[in-house]
Amino acid sequence: MLPVGVQHAVPYIVIINFALVAAGLMVFGMIAGRNLQEGAPQGLQNFSEAIVEWLVGQARKMGDCRVNLVAPYLGTFFMLIIMSNLLAMLPIPLLRIPPTSFYSVTLGLALTAVFGNIVISTIHKGILPALKHLVWPNPIQLISEVSDVLSLSLRLFGNIGGEFMVSLLVARAAPVGIPLIVHALGLIAAVLQALVFTLLTSNFLASGLHHEEKKKKRRGEEVEQREEEACAATVAVEAA
Amino acid sequence: MKDLIVVAPAFAVMPAAIGAAWAMSHISRSAIDGMTRQPEMGGQLFTAMLIGNALVEALVIYCLVIALMLAGKI
Repeated sequence: MLPVGVQHAVPYIVIINFALVAAGLMVFGMIAGRNLQEGAPQGLQNFSEAIVEWLVGQARKMGDCRVNLVAPYLGTFFMLIIMSNLLAMLPIPLLRIPPTSFYSVTLGLALTAVFGNIVISTIHKGILPALKHLVWPNPIQLISEVSDVLSLSLRLFGNIGGEFMVSLLVARAAPVGIPLIVHALGLIAAVLQALVFTLLTSNFLASGLHHEEKKKKRRGEEVEQREEEACAATVAVEAA
Repeated sequence: MKDLIVVAPAFAVMPAAIGAAWAMSHISRSAIDGMTRQPEMGGQLFTAMLIGNALVEALVIYCLVIALMLAGKI
């Protein structure tokens, strides 16, 4: 599939490309974070603020106060995955191999996501409740964590790797014109898969965080109801 | 009999792709139905649609991985 003579070099290409993406994002962050202006932002600051606002909104949707922890966590996954997916659009020979089209990279990302979720819920709730969530009410939830890793990693790998392979095959069969269509379709998949990875990670995280809080909320509502009833009763007594 | 492995990847992906196409069409149609009836719910419905589609898609991807493993044995 790949150009002749690079098969044995593939692991190094993956590492180099992934490192390049990470370095590029760091440089982008440094440039975008310099001389921030108040009021109506322009240019690069506007663009980066739009991303940050979306991520903060996503983190706030979980009804959690630790936005400072969750938003950068989700944002790292989103930016890293979307940039490494979009590497396939570049016309540069070896740089256009996206790192996410290899299973080891996506497995690493998925493992980081699931363990990160456990760590964040530990910070939020303490060690024992977070561990209790893994085995309570049924121990099968441990298996569901494993299947989360599998589904996250296989989805990303299958979409991006499959698309990359299809684009290589099409480019070999029809080198002119037709690959443009495949790349245009791949553009959708690249953005969508990064979005889906982030959304699913935040969903898993939310289900880990809010296992206990729903009960507390319900109890709180009951207490409020009782107080309201008591108030109404006293008002009625006073009126009589 | 051993030559059948050449067509095995195709038959591994095909039924999964047919089923997933049906399921994804169902999800998208219902989501678009909801969006036209209540445009102000559009954002939430779109997110839910994406997650549902991704969950359906995962099943096809499992089959695709199996097909890739089979294709490696040719």
